[in-house]
Amino acid sequence: MRALLLLSTFLSVPALAQISAEIPPPSQSAQGEVAVTIYNNNLALVQDRRQLDIPAGRSRQEFPDVSAQIRSETVTLTGAGVGIVEQNFDFDLLSPQALMQKAVGETVTLVRTNPATGAEVRERARVLAANGGVVLQIGERIEVLRDDGLPVRVIFDRVPENLRARPTLSVTVQSERPGRRPVTLTYLTPGLGWQADYVALFDETAGRMDVQGWITLTNNSGTPYVNADTVLVAGVVGGPNQPYRGGGSGSSPPGQVRQVGTQTSNRERLGDFYLYPLPERTTIANRQTKQVSFLNVQNTPAARAYEFHNAWLTAHGEAVSATTVLRFSSARAQGLGDALPAGTVRVYQRDARGNPQFVGESAIGHTPMGSELSLATGLAFDVKVHPVVERRQRITEEQWRTTSRFRIRQPDGTQISGEQESLREVDLYQTDMRYTLTNARPVPVTVDLYQSGLDNYWHDTRIVSESLPSIRETADRVLWRVTIPANGTVTLNVSFQTRH
Amino acid sequence: MKRRRFILAAWALLSSVGAGALAQGVVASDRPDRVAVTVYRDPSREPGDAPNLEFLGGYALVSETRQITIPAGESTIRFEGVAGGLVPQSAIVTGFPEGIIERNRDAYLLSPGTLLDRSLGRRVHIRRTSYATGAVREQEAVIRSGANGAVVLQTADGYEALRCTGLPDGLVYDEVPDGLSARPTLSVRTRSSQPVTATVTLSYIATGFDWQANYIVMLDPDGRHVDLFAWMTLASNDETSFPEADTQAVAGNINYNRTAPQPREGGPISLRCWPAGRTSDIPYSDLPPPPPARMIEGYSGDDQSIVVTGTRLRSSNLESASPVTVLNAQQEDLGDLKLYRIPEPVTVAANSQKQVALMTRPNVRAELVYRSVLDPADDREAEGVPMFLISRNRTEEGLGLPLPAGRLVLFGGGAGRPIVMGESFLSDRAIGEDVEVEFGVAVGVTRRIELIRQTDDWSEYRLTVTSDRPAPVRFEAQFSDAGDKFRPRRRLGRRDGMPLWVVRVPANGRASLRYRIMN
Repeated sequence: MRALLLLSTFLSVPALAQISAEIPPPSQSAQGEVAVTIYNNNLALVQDRRQLDIPAGRSRQEFPDVSAQIRSETVTLTGAGVGIVEQNFDFDLLSPQALMQKAVGETVTLVRTNPATGAEVRERARVLAANGGVVLQIGERIEVLRDDGLPVRVIFDRVPENLRARPTLSVTVQSERPGRRPVTLTYLTPGLGWQADYVALFDETAGRMDVQGWITLTNNSGTPYVNADTVLVAGVVGGPNQPYRGGGSGSSPPGQVRQVGTQTSNRERLGDFYLYPLPERTTIANRQTKQVSFLNVQNTPAARAYEFHNAWLTAHGEAVSATTVLRFSSARAQGLGDALPAGTVRVYQRDARGNPQFVGESAIGHTPMGSELSLATGLAFDVKVHPVVERRQRITEEQWRTTSRFRIRQPDGTQISGEQESLREVDLYQTDMRYTLTNARPVPVTVDLYQSGLDNYWHDTRIVSESLPSIRETADRVLWRVTIPANGTVTLNVSFQTRH
Repeated sequence: MKRRRFILAAWALLSSVGAGALAQGVVASDRPDRVAVTVYRDPSREPGDAPNLEFLGGYALVSETRQITIPAGESTIRFEGVAGGLVPQSAIVTGFPEGIIERNRDAYLLSPGTLLDRSLGRRVHIRRTSYATGAVREQEAVIRSGANGAVVLQTADGYEALRCTGLPDGLVYDEVPDGLSARPTLSVRTRSSQPVTATVTLSYIATGFDWQANYIVMLDPDGRHVDLFAWMTLASNDETSFPEADTQAVAGNINYNRTAPQPREGGPISLRCWPAGRTSDIPYSDLPPPPPARMIEGYSGDDQSIVVTGTRLRSSNLESASPVTVLNAQQEDLGDLKLYRIPEPVTVAANSQKQVALMTRPNVRAELVYRSVLDPADDREAEGVPMFLISRNRTEEGLGLPLPAGRLVLFGGGAGRPIVMGESFLSDRAIGEDVEVEFGVAVGVTRRIELIRQTDDWSEYRLTVTSDRPAPVRFEAQFSDAGDKFRPRRRLGRRDGMPLWVVRVPANGRASLRYRIMN
């Protein structure tokens, strides 16, 4: 028995060595020279240049270690003197069930173990069916596999060709001449993506900040890319896809880019896209998050500001915190001096001991160089606004005079023109708002207080009186720049006349 | 390729030879030398809600200092013992003398499933034990299929499936494949011209933390003063403990989008065999059990513990609900936020909750007020009135300090023991603001609106407040939707754009207001 076992082990070694050569272990990759171009919207272009030995005539070439999520319809294969007959992407995966189902009609070996003695008996059997259970023909008998519950090993002679451990791409090629040559495989795959992450260390007293930009790329494609030459493309490929926006919270003011820049960055460009090549080849492992620095700016000017947005007729039972925003520029002069790919800006500030502490974050979209940014990082603890609707009443029923002009061309060619007046009764409402702004900080602060909802289908809203001068930014929105003294309070009274 | 903006000078010195071609050293740093933890609230949790200890929605900024010896040439530094909830995008690494090339976080963990998956194509041993004799046989095999519910092995005999035979068989691996670690690990690839020992700082945001203030308010028997005490309650869901950490908490409302770290890869193997129906018994009894339900990562339900640090209860005065504390958090301003620092290092343990005194303010002037917002034309039966505890956050009242949001319990004295009068919450209150805490509806103080007369031109109503309290109580009513047609019999004040009636209801008495509403 022992001798037999030894013998079988001895015999198995060369066979196993041969098997091992077929499948490279995961640390070895069948990939050649890989170049990966990664876009923001979960898309990557992989170019894989492999050295293949191709015989003359038709042959089937397998390409293991392509992305597990490969979009096989986008595969192209190019090589000197190589023509493509067909491409196959096999995802019939090897499993005991698939193995048994493919073995229907084939002969397998059964090893029965006697539970009392441990003695083994070998038999050859033909698999008749594998539907819900396995039906076997052994000699003249028909049996159900393990019907008696006793242990039975089933040994298959071979694995069918198209059952694979991993999804595999195979291409049947026609070659004019035999020989080893480079072949380039190109395909698109989802599962790879990147975004930018910015670390901004803000010094409030100096009004400056240091910014580091990191490219964060993630690989969930199911395959590592070994020693890949990597380029990241800022921009969204495709037609009507939504641009990256991040999921800012409701307190964020509308429009974080106050003014869109028009300057051109020094980065490499391709059409509308900025390219960010990684400085050296790198291995992007599966399920890995990898970060590489791309921006490092010291001492750029930055300022803190406060904003408060009030919707029409909104009053609060208590004071509400103003939004804290960080304002800076991406311009060449007095700014970051670069185009900013979409991502998240995390703001840090030093505490009393000098340790950086996180004070908030904000998502940005792709931002051209020269833009003025205003990022909401949170709500101010000490700066609050309390809006109150003091009074709202219908004041008059005015006669509203409307005039219309008309011109009619009659069939005989003559024209009639004239003017027509009509009188309409309209309701006018007066709304008295009081905004109480408080500042518990030991320094004066300025709050940009926005009241919106002025243009609510009726466009003719007037401000009858206000205790501080306003700026009518748009038909719908009015802005007061209110400076609150240190530990002080400012009350702003405004009367609106509206038709709504 | 334009590289000049990249911060690493080292790249210019070396050719673009691939990373794999260079000899790489791996340096593992198993724990930080010093660590600081700053806990932030769950931004979506309302101040009145308690943190869900099983799934904390806040986060923490963890800053670690480590002493690391960097070999010459290219090396990978592995930071072990970081928080399990590390958000790799947020990491900041400083202190490498020649900068770093890249940082990586791998989500693959060592587990039966990943061990099998990563061993595809490797030589393993299959071990079979005989039920009858106990003899163990090992046989060489090569794994031919991945872990997704299937194991097919190639042996010298042919191809076989694992655990489909009814025999006890299992796999024995020779080694752990590369890249599988026990815990999520952040690693940094760096290059150094000479061996150097550096002090490296690693800061990152980690999910699975939360904190809040918990106020304990003792009402003085005179009814006009309270003793205010607050706990700073920190909680961690993380699997990593941070011993002797400089610990802070930040109050205020911060923009933060929860970025879940990449899910960890690693789990049990779920084996599936070929169809195994038999003549008699369906389903097959030897089928492997289904995989266990996925648990929230990093949380194990039974090792929750609550640690109270640095406190001792006053034994002589059990009537006081406020403990006497020797360790108090210190407050400082952090931009527009408030930072609370525990003055000595404490341990932020895995899956635990910790409490440290946040503030103590005895003898704060405050008053209980019964307050309603009423529709004046809505005549209805007598109803209880909500009770408010009101004060102002000023030094004159005995406060005058930022009050972070949190839950609040109001105790009153009586019968020789503290009695809970109500539970509520407080939102963030800056210095100078009104502090108004709403409690439940009081039973003994009621209000009622009656329509007493009606003509073609007006309707007259009477609002009556009753109190069963042995002392006078203050009642306030605000009338909503009361335009020019609301005509009270006496002059009323205004608050928030609404008419306001303030009255002191005598002890065991009543008070009323008559008003008309014009048609």
